[in-house]
Amino acid sequence: MSRLHAIGFLLLAAILVAVPLASGNEYELRLFMLFLIYAIIAVGLNVLVGLAGLVSLGQAGLFALGAYTGAVVAIRLGFDMISSGLIAAIVAGLFGVLLAYPTVRVRGVYLAVVTIAFGLIVENVAIEWQSLTGGTTGITSIPSPNAFGVALSGYAYYVVLAVSLFLLVLATHHLKDSRYGRAMLATAQSETAARALGLNPTALRTLAFVVAAVTSGIAGTYYAFLNSYISPDIFTFTDSVRFLLMVILGGAASTFGPVIGAYLLTYLPEYLQEFAVWQKFAYGALLLVVMFALPRGIMGSLGALAARLRPAAKAAPLDGALPADVTLAPEASRPHAELVARDLTVRFGGLTALASASLRVKPGEIHALIGPNGAGKSTFVNTISGFYRPTSGACELDGVALTGLSSHEIARVGLARTFQNTELFGEMTVLENVMVGYQQRLTYGIAAAVLHTPAMRREESRCRRTAAGLLAFVGLEAYAHEQARFLPFGLQRRLEIARALAAGPRLLLLDEPAAGLTTQEIDELEAMIRKIAGLGISVLLIEHHVELIMAVADTVTVLDYGQVIASDTPSAVQANPRVVEAYFGTSGHGAPAEASA
Amino acid sequence: MSTVAQYIFSGLAIGGIYALVALGFHIMWSAARAVNFAHGDTLMIGGLLAAYLVGSGWSLVLACGLAVLAGGAFGFALERLAVRPFAGQANSIGWMLTTIAVGIMVESLATIETQGYALPLPSPGVAGSVQVLGAGLYPQELVIPVIAVIAMAGLRLLQRHTLIGRAMQAVAHNKNAAALMGIDVNLVIAFSFALASLTGAAAGVLIAPVVQASATMGVLPGLKGFAVAIMGGITSAPGVVLTGLAYGVIEKFVEGYISTAAREIVGFSLMIVVLLAFPQGLFGKREVAKV
Amino acid sequence: MSSKGLMRGQLLAATVAFGLFTSAAHAQQQPCIGNSAAVTGPAAFSGQAIKMGAQIAIDEINEAGGVLGQKLRLVQYDDAGAPPRGVDNTRRIALADKCIAVLGGFHSTVAVAQVEPIHEIGIPYMGVWAANTKAVENGRDPNFMFRVSAKDKWVARFLVDEALKVSKDGKIAFFYENTGWGNGALPDIKAAMAARGKELVAAETFNWNDQDMSPQVIRARDAGAEVVMIWSLDREGNQVLRAMDKIGYKPAVIGAWGISGNLGELAGPLANGVRVMQTYSFLTPQSETGKKVLAALAAKYGLNDPSAIKAASGIADAYDAVYILADAIKIAGAFDWAKVQKALYEVNRDGLVAPYKPAFDKSDPERNDALLPEHYLLAVWHDGKLIPFKGSPYDK
Repeated sequence: MSRLHAIGFLLLAAILVAVPLASGNEYELRLFMLFLIYAIIAVGLNVLVGLAGLVSLGQAGLFALGAYTGAVVAIRLGFDMISSGLIAAIVAGLFGVLLAYPTVRVRGVYLAVVTIAFGLIVENVAIEWQSLTGGTTGITSIPSPNAFGVALSGYAYYVVLAVSLFLLVLATHHLKDSRYGRAMLATAQSETAARALGLNPTALRTLAFVVAAVTSGIAGTYYAFLNSYISPDIFTFTDSVRFLLMVILGGAASTFGPVIGAYLLTYLPEYLQEFAVWQKFAYGALLLVVMFALPRGIMGSLGALAARLRPAAKAAPLDGALPADVTLAPEASRPHAELVARDLTVRFGGLTALASASLRVKPGEIHALIGPNGAGKSTFVNTISGFYRPTSGACELDGVALTGLSSHEIARVGLARTFQNTELFGEMTVLENVMVGYQQRLTYGIAAAVLHTPAMRREESRCRRTAAGLLAFVGLEAYAHEQARFLPFGLQRRLEIARALAAGPRLLLLDEPAAGLTTQEIDELEAMIRKIAGLGISVLLIEHHVELIMAVADTVTVLDYGQVIASDTPSAVQANPRVVEAYFGTSGHGAPAEASA
Repeated sequence: MSTVAQYIFSGLAIGGIYALVALGFHIMWSAARAVNFAHGDTLMIGGLLAAYLVGSGWSLVLACGLAVLAGGAFGFALERLAVRPFAGQANSIGWMLTTIAVGIMVESLATIETQGYALPLPSPGVAGSVQVLGAGLYPQELVIPVIAVIAMAGLRLLQRHTLIGRAMQAVAHNKNAAALMGIDVNLVIAFSFALASLTGAAAGVLIAPVVQASATMGVLPGLKGFAVAIMGGITSAPGVVLTGLAYGVIEKFVEGYISTAAREIVGFSLMIVVLLAFPQGLFGKREVAKV
Repeated sequence: MSSKGLMRGQLLAATVAFGLFTSAAHAQQQPCIGNSAAVTGPAAFSGQAIKMGAQIAIDEINEAGGVLGQKLRLVQYDDAGAPPRGVDNTRRIALADKCIAVLGGFHSTVAVAQVEPIHEIGIPYMGVWAANTKAVENGRDPNFMFRVSAKDKWVARFLVDEALKVSKDGKIAFFYENTGWGNGALPDIKAAMAARGKELVAAETFNWNDQDMSPQVIRARDAGAEVVMIWSLDREGNQVLRAMDKIGYKPAVIGAWGISGNLGELAGPLANGVRVMQTYSFLTPQSETGKKVLAALAAKYGLNDPSAIKAASGIADAYDAVYILADAIKIAGAFDWAKVQKALYEVNRDGLVAPYKPAFDKSDPERNDALLPEHYLLAVWHDGKLIPFKGSPYDK
């Protein structure tokens, strides 16, 4: 934890201790307790919105589920607050999983509509299921807070809420600072790259939804016990908007932002009462002003301001970098990887992009795949890395069948790739990009992540040091703390290679790595590819740039119209008349020099 | 039999409103890949303003015309002020929240002005009911679905035969290419929002005589119109209009044969199920992601 | 997210937090009456009406020297019809503003939700609008919930009696809005019917802003209902009337006071003959008090035309409620919640709406309501105006 965050937590703790001592009357204390409950929702929602980048406009529905579940089991089954809260958390969590399911298929505004619909359904079920929920009248006489048979007085209940919030902020801070948080941020910025690095976006989104749902569920139970009364009016679309706004106003993805947002939006209505009939208008106007003045929220804007004032802070040196040749050295027991593709055929509608293409990357070799534009190179790459499904044919890595696996599973088998149009996690730092690449080699679980166990910290430290070493390997150590999107294009390509290497692949797939590079950069790239191969990693290189291929490749395979027309040593391919014809349309003009399109 | 006819015709009337609202969402989305979440309030502006003007002595036609134009102006202004600054952001939170904010403000103003009461909009369309196949209806209700279909056909004609219409299609297809062709993309988007808001306000003017004009009259049609647009496939104009009409009829049958209370639950659940089965909506085009 | 920005954010939050609490600690002790009502949202008119009625009464009392030598003050907070906000407002009124009593609002759900905090704190509550039976008949002793308004239980009996005058067989359908008020009235109506040995032939519900009620109306028609009783606001009442018109169904219509606002304006001639229960009307010959209040409404709020006053009952009830509270404070001799609660049972006064002799009766759990069924008025819509039923063209 950084020193700044440590100060933040100390301050939060100090405020939580000081407020009950300073509050003038019970009303003020209750209002503060209400803020604590809203803050719990906002902090949980931040995992979904800030980290996973998903919009939920139905959070009030999950809040309602928690409140009703907690209230019903407390009244009907006589459960105490803790067991009611647990059941509410489970029910809300299950609905979180249910809500996450559509994200497999729909995103963005579509997802927003699904969540809106979910919120409205819950609200209406609460209105209609009178026997359980009391309908529009709601549930009254919810018992006062109690745990293990002991009644919790005002202050004791305050302690429960304050401790809950503090621990939750700490837990989400730890989560953000772990492989889970990084993976969520990465998936939100480029799902394609995240998949290629072995991350499972569906699992991550489900996790984010479950965190947001469980926290809202628990908050719901707390609310029911605090108010001793709940009714459907508490859980409307307007409330969902308010919860989302708490996160945005405070600063999405920041640790303390949602707490500040929740604070402001809990107290704001108290002050808006001054405006009498105009208060809703004032609320709307304020919301508008916030979106314009602080689009990244309070913490986001403060952070950006601080970064502009003190850019020097970013250049902190990287200590303890582990040299790449140590971290990338293959395990002695395992032979170099061999990729075999057999008779791959891919059709899009009536168009045959690949027709029975076969290819074998021999263990440890640098294998180049070339072909004119539209020959099917990209289709081939996307098919073996699992982004497209072949119509027929199969491919395997060291005998492990890749066909049928999804892209993140293929990545875990040991295949890493880069992208023709770079797919970096633009808002993350250069170092973090590489750390995301290391992701699948981390083994600690979510509990360890939240608790920041020593074992977890050891793994994280190794991850960071490995990433630092890889940055040195590709010559980017000076940029470690820059945001990736600010890198010049040539360096972005290198970063992608470092990131792919961090996964510890046995086969590296480079998709046109030389495109857009200067001659000098291409020379450096050539050296880098050699070094990578020298570490025992098989390389499949898709390239237009003939000089580079001739210089580094052990074997060259040529694709044309979806078919393999040659596969041999570079010099043999160069002399092959079919290859010449494919490139120039006529035969007899020697080698296809400078064929880059 | 007459009951079934009643449900069908009443459903088509409500569905026509959903269809008109959804058509507006379709127009906005096609141009900007963003929509106005205050579109329901556009409907309210149309209906309430018309009722106000008629109440203060204007002729019905003039009042309705001006109310529709005011709705269009609202959409135009809103695009420029609240949507454009946030277009192109990775997630949609920016314009979602700004348009919601404007909606809150507009609705609040209307509430202050009306104190929450509804206002009548007297129209010859609701002066007396007519019998169709044993179902009792106001002529106004019969007209609404017809106008929805005409609006859809009009949009098609506009897109086929006018310069601005073709520009709209070009922008919908590919913004960058359209800009390279010399099309003023921002202008086309602003025009689209204005056009969408005209249809929205027109929906308000059409429904106000039946349901009365009030500050909250646009909330549900706005939400359901959006749900309908997403369900029908927001990229397809005939798709959203057809879905809107069908949704209205389904609602009536749920009310008639299950219960009034089940309406929202069944309707929105149906929407989620449809989206799971057809992620781009029933009639929407699949957008292929290229790696 | 690094560097000092974060810390500054924390300091800011802390300053705001402490600032709030120190400033709020200086709560004023001035005697005040707090009101939680819908000031915004679809029932915004109710908050305005309550404010008018209560403010006129408070101004009169203050001009006459105040209460126990102190000037009364009105604080109004918006609950937008949401019970949790009503509960928060109740606590704010009682604990932060330290007002002497809470004046109720429009929404029954809010009133029901207020029962718990009112008794937990022990501050008198005076309802002026929400008519839900259980809000006041809540089984508590001592009961801090009082009301100067209609009570659904009695309204139900009142309206059922009227309905049975029309339909001797008791073929009555009940239409109610799907809110705390409507749902709360359903058991009251059923009980009132049962007391007369009858059963509803149909009970139909709808939501606010529903656009078409033909399914409900068709079901009521098919059940053979001769009378339709309506528990709704004007807007939905109008929808019901129009749906009836469309299918050519013409039962007698009798409604609770929700349709006493602008139904005539909305439904036009369809509203003619619709009977409505009210607690007060400014259109009847006015008492001296009534004339005084009318003059104040014109002077302070520009309501020059009595028929333009849409929420007569709300204004009048709030006006009387404030006077009853002031009397109780005088009897109690102190601004003390518990003493005022006891003193309320001793108030005797000739009010605007009714004579309160006494206002409340401690020996009768049903009598924490000051307005009795005999004080209810039956009015009828006629050509856009709500006129007293007695002597109207419909009084046969």
